[in-house]
Amino acid sequence: MRVPGALFAARGRAPQSESDVPFQEILPLRLKNTVSGKADSGSDVACLQEMGQLFACLKDNEFTEKYCSKEINQFQRCFKCYMDRKLEAKKTVNQGIVQPGSNLNYKQLNKYMRRYPNPV
Amino acid sequence: MSFLTRIVGKSTSFSGIRLMSVYPQHYVEPIVQKDKQIEQKDELTKLHHIPIKAALNKSSDTVFHDDTKEKLLNYITKKGNSALARTLLSKAFELIKRTQTERLNLAKGDKDKVITNAEVLLKQAVENCRPLLQVTAIKRGGVTYQVPVPITTKRSYFLAMKWLLEAAREKERKVSLPEKLAWEILDAAHGQGRVVKRKDDLHRQCEANRAYAHYRWS
Repeated sequence: MRVPGALFAARGRAPQSESDVPFQEILPLRLKNTVSGKADSGSDVACLQEMGQLFACLKDNEFTEKYCSKEINQFQRCFKCYMDRKLEAKKTVNQGIVQPGSNLNYKQLNKYMRRYPNPV
Repeated sequence: MSFLTRIVGKSTSFSGIRLMSVYPQHYVEPIVQKDKQIEQKDELTKLHHIPIKAALNKSSDTVFHDDTKEKLLNYITKKGNSALARTLLSKAFELIKRTQTERLNLAKGDKDKVITNAEVLLKQAVENCRPLLQVTAIKRGGVTYQVPVPITTKRSYFLAMKWLLEAAREKERKVSLPEKLAWEILDAAHGQGRVVKRKDDLHRQCEANRAYAHYRWS
């Protein structure tokens, strides 16, 4: 007797034997004990508003700087402040003092995780 | 902040970074100038038992020392021939002095306005050529944008002196470098000339590309 193909289709395909396709762990299936510090570097965009004001002033005065000394000073002060803050932040990160709390930078996190690693 | 607190701060903040300096971090910068030594006498007495870095070979305590001049000398130097660079710069200064003296003698009435000090003129020129911003190429979605970014004071000085020197080196073979450099310095000190125009062009380009300013992220 001929069995119609539609019957086979309704039953579905038979599962593959697991021994034919052994599981390969290509990447380790657990989290690493470190985090990368990429996210902590933060955005580099600073002083956009001051820059806009400076551009407006420069355009109005046909790029003569002496008429825009106020804007220039503001802009440079802002940038200096930003650089100082960045340097300070880098210093605190490099100091690597571990403190309790949830707001940790990557170095502190790495220290914690080295102390309490994932069980293998 | 006094010297002592700075030193204590430095020595306690030990970090795992290896520095490229010959000296450990707790070494203090030397002060070569006699008048500065006398000025900071009280602070310097605290440094009796603290190691100090050796003074640089070229540092000196003469009235002729000028940081801008020294920097420019370093930029003029090619293949380590700093003796030649020094003669070139002093020749340029001499030419500046001569032209300015001539102008002073020709000037009618206001003779105080003509500056004949070449070093003062050099400083003025560098100040006039300093850019405020700079453009960097940032690739976004396959398109390279010229994004205006602020620059540090140090870099702005560097760029000003580099541009001055580039303008001076772009000359005919018969014209000597001191001649051209003297002209460029004089022009820039009076707020005109090619170098100041170059700075203005850069500012114009920054202004034209201000819409991309928020693309800075890397």
